[in-house]
This record gives sequence, C-alpha cells and structure tokens, in this order.
Amino acid sequence: MNRRALRDGLVATLSWLLLASAGDASALDVPFQKYALPNGLTVILHEDHTLPMVTVNVVYRVGSRYEEQGRTGFAHLFEHLMFMGTRRAPTKMFDAWMEKEGGWNNAWTSEDYTDYFDVAPAHALPLLLWLEADRMSALGHEMTLDKLDAQRDVVRNERRQTSENQPYGKVELRLPELLFPPDSPYHHPVIGSHEDLQAATVDDVKSFFGRWYVPTNASMVVAGDFDPAQTRALIERSFGWIPAQAPPQPPPIPPARLDHVVRETIQDNVQLPKVVMAWPSPDRYALGDAELDLARVILDEGKSSRLFKALVYEHDLAQEVKVSQNSRDGGSDFEVEAIARPGVSLEQLETAIDGELRRLASEPVPAEELARAKTQFETKFVQRLESLVERAMVLNLYQATKGDPGYAERDLQRYRAVTPASLQHAVKSTVRLDARVVLHVVPKEKAAGEGGAR
Amino acid sequence: MRPVVFRLALGALCLSELSACGGAAIVGTSPPPAPVASAPAAAPQETDRLGPRPALGAARDVRVPPPVVFKTANSVTVWLVERHALPLVSVTIALPAGSASDPADRPGLAHLTADMLDEGAGDLNAIALSAAVSDLGTTLSIDTGVDASTVSMTVLKGNFPKAMRILADVVARPRMEARDFKRVSDLWINGLEQRQDDPDEVARVVIGAALYGARTPYGHPRDGYVADARKVRLADVKRFYANQWRPDRAVAVVVGDVTRAEVESALGATLGSWKAVATPAPPEPDLSSLVPAAQRPRLVVVDRADAPQSVIAVVRDGVSAGSPEAPLLDLVNTALGGSFTSRLNQNLREDKHWTYGAFTAFTHPRGQGAFVARASVFVEVTGKALKEMLGELENIAARGMTEEELSKVKAQDRADLVQTYEIVGGTAQRLAQLFSLGLDPSFDVKASVVRQGATLQVLAEQAKAHIDVSKATVVVVGPKDKVVRQLAEAGLGDPVFWGPEGPMPTARAVR
Repeated sequence: MNRRALRDGLVATLSWLLLASAGDASALDVPFQKYALPNGLTVILHEDHTLPMVTVNVVYRVGSRYEEQGRTGFAHLFEHLMFMGTRRAPTKMFDAWMEKEGGWNNAWTSEDYTDYFDVAPAHALPLLLWLEADRMSALGHEMTLDKLDAQRDVVRNERRQTSENQPYGKVELRLPELLFPPDSPYHHPVIGSHEDLQAATVDDVKSFFGRWYVPTNASMVVAGDFDPAQTRALIERSFGWIPAQAPPQPPPIPPARLDHVVRETIQDNVQLPKVVMAWPSPDRYALGDAELDLARVILDEGKSSRLFKALVYEHDLAQEVKVSQNSRDGGSDFEVEAIARPGVSLEQLETAIDGELRRLASEPVPAEELARAKTQFETKFVQRLESLVERAMVLNLYQATKGDPGYAERDLQRYRAVTPASLQHAVKSTVRLDARVVLHVVPKEKAAGEGGAR
Repeated sequence: MRPVVFRLALGALCLSELSACGGAAIVGTSPPPAPVASAPAAAPQETDRLGPRPALGAARDVRVPPPVVFKTANSVTVWLVERHALPLVSVTIALPAGSASDPADRPGLAHLTADMLDEGAGDLNAIALSAAVSDLGTTLSIDTGVDASTVSMTVLKGNFPKAMRILADVVARPRMEARDFKRVSDLWINGLEQRQDDPDEVARVVIGAALYGARTPYGHPRDGYVADARKVRLADVKRFYANQWRPDRAVAVVVGDVTRAEVESALGATLGSWKAVATPAPPEPDLSSLVPAAQRPRLVVVDRADAPQSVIAVVRDGVSAGSPEAPLLDLVNTALGGSFTSRLNQNLREDKHWTYGAFTAFTHPRGQGAFVARASVFVEVTGKALKEMLGELENIAARGMTEEELSKVKAQDRADLVQTYEIVGGTAQRLAQLFSLGLDPSFDVKASVVRQGATLQVLAEQAKAHIDVSKATVVVVGPKDKVVRQLAEAGLGDPVFWGPEGPMPTARAVR
C-alpha cells in the first residue's frame, strides 16, 4: 500500500544527497569533517565546489532562556551588539568589509540558541573567519555605552515594527507569559520588554559575553568552495589562540505544566477576530515531538488537511488556519490559530476546532493520510538542504542540539517511525481541551461592547 | 508560530507591489582587482595573536549557461536549463496575465483568476488536486504580479512527469466551478478588508495610487479594491482566463535534472492538448500611464491611530526593465538603500537608531517603473526621519557615489548572480520573470557586463536624473495626531488625507 510508495519515494529523496556527496552510505548524508580546537571550539567543514561561494555559520548555545531576571530581550540585544565592532574591526567595519567583497550576513536568536551566518564569494573566506574570530575574542571586552545605546534603540524599533504594529502581533508577546509559569525561562518572548531593554548595562554585556560567548559554548560550520587543509590551518591560526574557559552551565528548566484552561482577550487594530490555542508540548527530540510535527501537517498543510477542510473549505468559518509545533530544549509549545470570517464568532470557531482536535485524539489517523504527511514533511526537510546557507545551518543546529552534525538521518527516522497509534497518543496527552491557553484577539472598536467576548 | 528574532528583516529589501524585484546579477567577465589588506588603523601595539586583516585573492568567475530555447507544437515557449547535480526538477509556467491586464472596472481579476486555477482541474476537484500535490511531497505556488502570473512546482526527478500532469491541468484545464468560486471570492474580499490592518500593505496600495493613479494598470493594487471585488463574478473570471491563458503566450521554464527529450515528451503528453482560442491575443495594456508630476500629491497621510511607528516612503517615477538605464540604476540603488551598509540604512538605523531598517528600490516592470525609499520609524521622529531620508536622496542625486561605493556595489553585483541562480526553484522563477518582462534569457549576464563597466560619472548622471526628489511624493502611514505637526516642517505643503485604499472610498468590513 502507500507504505511502499512512501519508501520508494524516500529512496529517491535520499539518493540525491548521496549524489551530492562523495558518499556511498545508504542514508541521508551531508558529508562533513568535525573536530575540536584545544580551546573547545567545535569546527565542522562541509565542502561543496558547485559554486564559488562559502558560508560560515556560528552557533552559540545561548538564547533568551539564559537571561537574568529583569533583562528580558538581552540575548537578542546581544546578538545585535556582536556587529558593533572592536579595536581591530571598528564600528561599521564588520559589515563594510564583508559587503565590499560581495558578502552579506544575518543572525537570529531563539529561546535556546543564537546563530550568526556570513555568506560571500569563496575568495573572502579568510576575511569571514578573521571577523568571526575577532568578535569571539574581543567583542565584550570592548563594549561601550554608545554601541549599546545604538542597538538598544534599533531593537526597540524592531519590536515595534515586527510585533506591536503588525496585525495580531501582540499575541507572540503575550502567549509565553500565559503558557509558562513565572519561574520558567520560557515565560517571556525573545524580543523582551522595552523596560528591560532600557535597563541593560555595559557590565551586563561584558558578563554575558564572558559567560556564554566562549569557545566551548560555540560551534562553527564552514561550508562551500574551499580547500580543507588550508582552511583547517587558517582556523587554527585565527581561533586557536582564544583562551579556553570552563563550559558554562545552562540554567535549569522547571517543567511546564498546565492543568486548567487559561483564557484572555486582547484588543488589536484588526478587522477580524482571531483565536489562538496553545499547549506546552514535548521537548525537541522527545517522545511525541515528531508526532506533533506530523499532526501539524495533517491539520493545516494543503487543502486536504483537516482544519483547512473543516473550517475553510466545507464550512465558511475561518479566513485562515495555522498550526505549529515549536520545538525547544525544554519549553516547546503546540499552537492552533484561526481567524474568523465576518459574522462568525470565536465560540463557533472554537467548537469547530475542538471537534477536529477531539477526532485526532480519539481515532487513529488512516495510514494513507499519515503516509502523505510523512512525504510532505520529509520532502520539505530534504529540499531545504539544496541551499548551501541552509545546509550549513542545519549541520550546526544538529551539532548544537545533539552534538552531532550528521544527525539528520536519525532525525528523519523519528518521523518514519511515527505510527497512527503513537500520533494519537501524542495528541491525546498534549492537546487537551481541558488544559490549554485560549487567547482571543478582537477588533479594538468592538471590544468594549462585546463585554465578555470569549 | 513563535518566530526567532532576526537581526535584519528578511526580504526587507524587496518591494512587494511590482513584480520585478531587485536586479539579479550575473558574474560576468572581469574579476575585480584583489582587495589589498591594510593593517587596521587602530591595531593594538603589542603582538596581536589574531594578526592583521587578511589579504584576499581574486574572486573566481562564474559562468551561468543560458537556457536552451524551443517551442512545442502548440506554441508554448520552453526555456530549459539542465542541471544534473541533484535529482530535482523545478518548473515555472508563466503568462503575461498580470494585474496590469485587469479590466479597468475589475481590478484584481488576474489575481482572482490565478487563484481559481488550482480549485479543481482536469479530473480532480480542489481537495483531490491538493492531495495529489501533497503526495508528491511538494507545494504548488501560484502568484500574480503586475506583468505576469506564474504557476510553479519543484519535485524529485522521478516525479517530474506526474508534476507536469498536475501543472498542465491547472493552467490548461481549470474547472472554475461556482462552489469553489464562492469560497475563493469570499476569502479574497475578506483578505482585502484585512489588508487595511497592515501598515506596510497600506503603504503599498497608497504608493501605487499616488504615482500611477488609482485606476490605472500599474496603479491599482494587484489584489484589487474591496468595493470592486464584490462585483466580480465567475463569468468575469472565465472570460479573463479564456482571453489571457493561452499556449501561444506561455513559457514553461524547466530547470534541473532532466533532458530535453524528457521535457519534450512530458510537455507533449500534458500540455500538448492545450489549444489557443481562435481570437487574437489580447492587446498589451497601456503600461506608460503615470500621474503627471504636477498633479501628484506632494504629501499623503494615512491615519493609523495609536501606531507606535510610521511607515514613511518617498516615491517617484523610475524606468522599465528593458531600459538601458535599468542595470545602472540597480548599482546606484545598492549604494543608496539596497544593502545593509547602504547610505540610507546606515543613517536611519545605525547612526540615528530610529528604525529597524530603511531601504530603497527601483522596480523594473515591463512598462513604467518606480523608485521607492521606505522605512518604518518611531512615531516621535517621523518628521526628522523623513528629512534625513530626503537628504540622502538629494545628496546622491547631487553628487553621485564614491569610488569606494562603486567597488562595493560591483562586488555585490557579481556575488548576486551566484545566489540568484543557486537553487533550481529560484533559477526557474527568475528566468520566467525575464520572459514575462520581454527580456532575453541571458539578460542578467549582459546587464552585469554593463554594470561592471559603469563609471562614477555615468552613475552620477543616472542618480541625478532618477533620484531627484523635487517632484517626488511622500507617503506617511501613521497616527495623524502625532505626525501632521512634525511633517509641517518638511516644506511639502498641506497633506492630502487618504484612506487605506488610497483615494478610493473606504469600505469597512461588514460584520
């Protein structure tokens, strides 16, 4: 049956990466060499000579869950400060020198990790490594209030632009607070509060740098068109002298439990109301995590998905639906969101959503439907690796989360192993109708009159 | 989803209204002189273990092989790029049926028509069609820009024939049934009502109306207006489809691990039965319309009460994709507002900290293009930020760019190509865009040669001619009670107040 079709599909899927690599293995394989410098920096080299480009990806195992009391948003603010320069590369020169060679860069911060990536024509690799080594060794020591103030204001404008001034954007600011208890490091959003961003000091920057931005807490992928022997030597010269330091201890994560329904209504500058439901869910790679990823596909991917079909296609209830399993080290959440069509109440929408969630928890998913979800998930997973920048990021995230850049194949095995019974069990134990956050977003002008809009 | 938080807004450098976004560049002939490393001026006195900034070798040339071009028996143009490194194939089918082809009283019709294509096609209803796409592990993307509509898919090599079957049904045999139309149309109208919630979307709509006129081929939003949308019927869609979607106007761009024989066979078996209607192809819309500078409003304000930021934009006319000036203006744009180190972003973000990012773009559509500078700024500094923005534009228009900037933007131009043509999907979409713009398949290579030969003087002339802001229009989407006072100092006269659909009467959601 479809199981077989799926297997054939997967063989085809996997073979292209084998072709891409020199490998003769029988599984998903992005070839790499991994080693550590004596100071503890993990280095991963991935050669691909298809195009004359390179990327350097550096992950530091620190994110917003590592922040101190009263310093929400600091890990991400720090990420911005990493571009503010040192004595060797004065303010603005990190970007200027990179762009001068045709390169560019970006970075992101999550609750658990901070990732920096540079992309450039192959000839510029020594510059990229030099710039990364420079800031890894000197950034915190050379911090000033001017640099901090500059990015503090940029970040506050980022908060305004991407959350406060976006329709429904306030949800992501509020949801973590409702979902995780005050003593949880996942209680606040990555972007943080204006108040805490204002409170950050230069000393905070120095101590955060000294604690988390150390070689043992970092891993670096170099990917693309380079000579491995020369590059190894260059990496040793550039990073090897940076002093070793004891690996930092990540803060503990108290388990998040929600045993009742938490409801809240917020007002926003929107035309149509929205309901957001959220549950604390299994940690990244834990039992149930892959199941909920596939539950997400079954619920919202494509017109044949269950929530789309029930709420958008067959009944005129929702303008859009969206489901996500946001996997984190110790504070994952599963979310279902829907925007109501005009004239439809959020109660109607909730009833319809609950019906589909109940069905998923009470009946095993037909094999064909699960097979389709796996195909969708796995093909997307593999296609992501076509881009060099994405491939480097994937290698480094597996290193950061699993200590193994080559974990992709084993990661995929988690998804292949999902059964109708295991999926049903994961939904039943996580997506509980009697224990969840239910957040309503209602149009501003209507909020007053609606009273207890729930 | 709780997103991770980025240093830069991804895609912020791309203007959404017009289809030609950014100039793809191809590394051409001459490599740049090797950059000379100098000891950093502020190097510490004692021995630095890291050492000085390294000297770099020369950039390597890149060759981008042009596609093989041929036609099928029923006159579909095919652009094929064979790339055998990975067993992936990407297909984009494009037609010059963009929003510029909308009937004057049916803005958004091209968009809605494209949206109806995958609501059931051939033997499959909408759900079955979507399931068939999912079974290939892929998604079907449908998009309508000002000049073209496109349908795309990327699949594993082995699924190419199946993917072609679905794509061919979608473009040649859409069902267009009433039940599906009702849903798609309702969602469309609701989406237009929601559009007014998003300040960037409002700015997009207002910019188009101010520059081109609210009821012109390029001036109305691609997705239409609320009031007109309510009048669109299924018969309109069917008529538009029959006139516009025909094989003699289509290109199929195929990129990936596939041979010409395989492509001919798959296209013959799937698109071969697609017949053009007997009527002649529809006439090209008038793509030159532009509100005369003297009649454009100087300052448009759209009130967004309580907003913490204002979207500010400076907009004026630009040039078409085929204009010989277009490639040169892309270089000027990179220096002015097209990259992180550009003048405008450095000023407003890195020096003043008033924004998360500021950018500029020349849109290069098939017809009359535009220039836009844009940023979302903290409300309290709306007036000051606008002044700085205008100042940067005036400055580059008056003095051109520096030697150092010229070297940077040429390097960026060479590097862009590699990334534009890196993955099969991006390659197929860029080539389909070139076709839709009426440009030849090696346009990017030739444009890059022009750019690499550009001199400071030529670019200064371009900047002077095309970035002069004396006749530009300023658009501000922000809280009226806070911004109007600040704008008084800009010397732009009294603002014109428009709604979220520009000068169109605002249609509020009916609830």
